[in-house]
Amino acid sequence: MDDSLNSWFAREILVHEGALMRYLRRSWFRREEVHDLRQEIYVRVYEAAARSRPTQPKSFMFTTARHLMTDRLRRERVVSIEAVGDIDALNVPVDEVTPDRRLDAHQELKRLADAFDRLPDRCREVVWLRRVEQLSQKQVAARMGISEKTVEKQIAKGARLIAQYVHGDRHTRRHTRAGEQETAIELGHDQ
Amino acid sequence: MTSSREIEHIAASWLARRDGEHWNERDQRRLDAWLDASTAHRVAFVRLDAAWQQSGRLQALGAGWRTGGVPPRGSWATPRTGAAALAAPRPSPASRQHRSRPHARLLAVAASLLVIASLALGWHWYYGAVEQASYRTAIGELREVPLADGSVATLSSDSRIRVTWSRRERHVDLEQGEAFFSVAKDRARPFVVSADARRVIAVGTRFAVRRDATDLRVVVTQGLVRLESDSRPDGPHQATTLLPAGSVAIASDGGVVVHSGTVQQAQEYLSWRDGFVNFHDTPLATAVAEFNRYNQRKIVIADARVGAMRVGGHFRWSNTDAFVRLLTRGFPIKASPHGDTIVLSPR
Repeated sequence: MDDSLNSWFAREILVHEGALMRYLRRSWFRREEVHDLRQEIYVRVYEAAARSRPTQPKSFMFTTARHLMTDRLRRERVVSIEAVGDIDALNVPVDEVTPDRRLDAHQELKRLADAFDRLPDRCREVVWLRRVEQLSQKQVAARMGISEKTVEKQIAKGARLIAQYVHGDRHTRRHTRAGEQETAIELGHDQ
Repeated sequence: MTSSREIEHIAASWLARRDGEHWNERDQRRLDAWLDASTAHRVAFVRLDAAWQQSGRLQALGAGWRTGGVPPRGSWATPRTGAAALAAPRPSPASRQHRSRPHARLLAVAASLLVIASLALGWHWYYGAVEQASYRTAIGELREVPLADGSVATLSSDSRIRVTWSRRERHVDLEQGEAFFSVAKDRARPFVVSADARRVIAVGTRFAVRRDATDLRVVVTQGLVRLESDSRPDGPHQATTLLPAGSVAIASDGGVVVHSGTVQQAQEYLSWRDGFVNFHDTPLATAVAEFNRYNQRKIVIADARVGAMRVGGHFRWSNTDAFVRLLTRGFPIKASPHGDTIVLSPR
């Protein structure tokens, strides 16, 4: 694996996952497809960066997102006017949607702690023993009186959930809502 | 094609296996092959791996929590430097006892009065209302109302609720419009939303209730709620209906119709909270009525043929203009402003 590309990707792209997800949820009309859209955006960005790293990674990611959604909408428009209303939503300037704020080290730890606290009980215990007390999976299994297979499964789950919470999905609902309201008003003025 | 969620699960199990003791070179080669097979696999793995690496930093937070075992939620991450601030002086019970004492006899009288008063209060506390409040929204306004028990009500446009908290019950009267409730769990005190003769009862769950003339619509996105109607002497007996997550129930004079789908489908009925309305092959008359719920400036349909046209889409409810523009572009419809309304007629 190209480790420098991977760490670039984590540092410059994944950190904006929260903003990207908010943007996708706001703009895309079928929520169940947002996960899939995100993957496709990551694939496009990753492949482009493998050729040459974009100078403005965040804008590049959002531009990619916009193109992808527009492409999909065009394809759909042939069959119905379903979703056409959304093209408007895509024209929101990215920086308004996602004020650029990097977390300082303390906030990052806090976010991690919150993510950890949101794990289900058993998963949380496994992750704690493995990551903080540094027990091996085998020792974790012995300590908790569960099978190694179960420990492995809980770690897989923990990795998924922590990724979800740490990279993005921790939106306090009220916050998101307020942001969306503002956008709606802005759009109203534009036209 | 493998879905993005499946890929994420597979990536997670690779990561977990690599984290274990039995990992060997052959496994590594197989993982490499899987990663090389598709960029989608690779980005999914990189994403999880980055988060997993980060989770190692939990150690920094966990330092100082060496009592063995997992710390309780929310407690262990408090910065230790803040300990002094947490130890703020609090009036101790002892210091309160130093206040001047009244005469013993007076005290006895006062005590007996107090007993009577507290009995009455207790009764009131148990059975009566302890808190009452009303909330409303204007047309085009959404409002999130935190309630005393930790539940949250989101009021849709032009809606009104009255909240009555008693010891036995958390009661919300939906007087008008629609509201979404995210209910805090309290097994001892059911959360009841009523609209005229109908009641929607939940313990800890998420659901929305909406009044339309004589109909009531209930959308459940989490947990289980119970829909009850008072049977009228002349009408048919209306049984209690249990609604699991994913249900959309419409109670009308004719009875209760329940559509059971996925939670995602049910959620579409609630996109107003995010500023949207959804239509799928919906008669334009219905779509327009929906828009009008949220806007001061009303759309009026001048012709039944126009009202019967079917539309689909996902629209911002605040953006009437965009909706009307799309209609005039995509359908044989003409829109003309008329005072504070927009009149739709055939072209």
